[in-house]
Amino acid sequence: MLVSLKAFAPELTLVGFLSLLFLLDGFVPKLRENRFPLIWVIVSCFAAGVATAVGKGLSGDFFSGLVTETGLVAFFRYFFFFACGVTAYVTLGSKEIEERGRSEFSLLILCMTFGMSLMVLANHFLMLYIGIETVSIISFVLAGFNRESSRSNEASFKYLVYGAVSSGLMIYGISLVYGYTGALSYPAIAEALIKNNGTHPFVFYLALVMIYAGFAYKISSFPFHFWTPDVYEGSPTPVATFFSVGPKAAGFGALLHFVLTALSQKQEGGVFTPIAGIQLAPVMALISAATMVVGNLSAIAQTNVKRMLAFSSIAHVGYVLMGFVVMTPAAFSSIIFYLIAYCAMNLGAFWIVGIVTDEKKGSELSDFKGMGWRTPVMGVCMAIFLFSLTGIPLFSGFIGKFLIFGNLIQSQSYLWLALLGVLNSVVSLYYYTKILRAMWLEKPESSDSAELRLPLSQLVGLLGLALPTVILGLFFSPVLEMAQRWITQ
Amino acid sequence: MILAEKLTSMAYWSHFVSIALFALGLLGFLTRRNALIVLMSLELMLNAVNLLLVQIAMRTGTSEGIVLVVFVITVAAAEVAVGLGIILNLYRMKKTVDLGSFRNLSG
Repeated sequence: MLVSLKAFAPELTLVGFLSLLFLLDGFVPKLRENRFPLIWVIVSCFAAGVATAVGKGLSGDFFSGLVTETGLVAFFRYFFFFACGVTAYVTLGSKEIEERGRSEFSLLILCMTFGMSLMVLANHFLMLYIGIETVSIISFVLAGFNRESSRSNEASFKYLVYGAVSSGLMIYGISLVYGYTGALSYPAIAEALIKNNGTHPFVFYLALVMIYAGFAYKISSFPFHFWTPDVYEGSPTPVATFFSVGPKAAGFGALLHFVLTALSQKQEGGVFTPIAGIQLAPVMALISAATMVVGNLSAIAQTNVKRMLAFSSIAHVGYVLMGFVVMTPAAFSSIIFYLIAYCAMNLGAFWIVGIVTDEKKGSELSDFKGMGWRTPVMGVCMAIFLFSLTGIPLFSGFIGKFLIFGNLIQSQSYLWLALLGVLNSVVSLYYYTKILRAMWLEKPESSDSAELRLPLSQLVGLLGLALPTVILGLFFSPVLEMAQRWITQ
Repeated sequence: MILAEKLTSMAYWSHFVSIALFALGLLGFLTRRNALIVLMSLELMLNAVNLLLVQIAMRTGTSEGIVLVVFVITVAAAEVAVGLGIILNLYRMKKTVDLGSFRNLSG
């Protein structure tokens, strides 16, 4: 039991800080008025990160098999704590989250980070369900954070309805798998599946599709992506920033662990092969293709930048899902690399949208007119983020895509998918440059062409996200090696 | 199992009840325009899951399913609490809970 608690230390740290904030918030009302709660979030994310670093090396099943520790879990923890900390930092300078709501906001994002950790730790359907629902229910509240805005409320309601249906489908699928295998923990399910020697009833496949519905909703992949643009557009920009990175990565982490432990067998040399009777690759290839195409084609027609970035984030999910088609360690480490690159560039792009939204009270393309000339640093950073999102060489996004496509080509199958991915990247160049054209090639309206000075904290933060995007595009091998270590541990 | 035995066994029928409840919930979600009824349909879906889980736990003699039921009930309650809050807020603004009137976002 004590060992289990040790393995759970980062989450316990997070919960400790969360409860302290809750108490402080109740007893010292003065603290609500200033930046304290958000700084508290950054401190607690840092502390949880330190706890992860200290407790590294523990691996195996804990809490009687409910959770499991692997190198991947440690990576995802760092990832979530980083994303949560950056979101708090972004919110410090944002006007969209009103001052008196800051302490609630801080509590909610901390709690959501806890839920995301649970999702990737889960080694049992019960834990997975609890993790997913913790993240979902808090997301509904966060999406509707601006209570006065009817758009925010609508976004929240849409999120809730789609979320409840997909999690309902998922839990029904889980109960069908439970009926078929008699177990809820991943290793036990794999054991039962192997025993059946490749002949599974139709209900089992139906159940897998239903379970995927839950994951698809979290990562906003093809059949369940409808909520994404509406929710991102309606919710406050700092919230959308967090949604576009945190829960998505958590969904990928949970899906990765589920596919690897419940549906696959580890072979010699670390290659995973699906258990007899389960064909993952063709299905994943189709889902990935559909997600990319839908995301990119819908993004072309958008005039609202937040909505455009929402569709682009759907397209990026399609690219990441390509890694699930080839189930080799190299493919998984390229997924990890892509997530790291995506985290920096997407957080940055959404942050700039948030800054413009604060200035112009809107995030239409016309609001971006001349913004590059008004604040050159912001314009250059946005160019870096968008070029990287497109996958232009010299930026981290290019290396990420190169690795993922390369693995697909190396596997000698699904070449059409790699080709489709390249074509999609070309399409995405068109709509990303629309933003850049508005920022740099169009003159600002004469009424507000004065230079817009950003506070130092925002400049430092933006550069702090833009630099890794460039550096990872040039010196990617250390991070890639680290990703490989995380995978094999 | 011979047909007569199937027709008299509880386990056999509770599968159908569960599927029917789930389908009703899904249908209600897809067709109803009233936000409250949509929430009720979602509840129906989760209750269908509970029925199935309990039945399977009885059949296989494992306790995991029963534990999951408790959590499903808890989550359903939390979801409805948040959902009702949001609906109340929307009602204050629009004076209606008809889904057709929530059209500010083009989706």
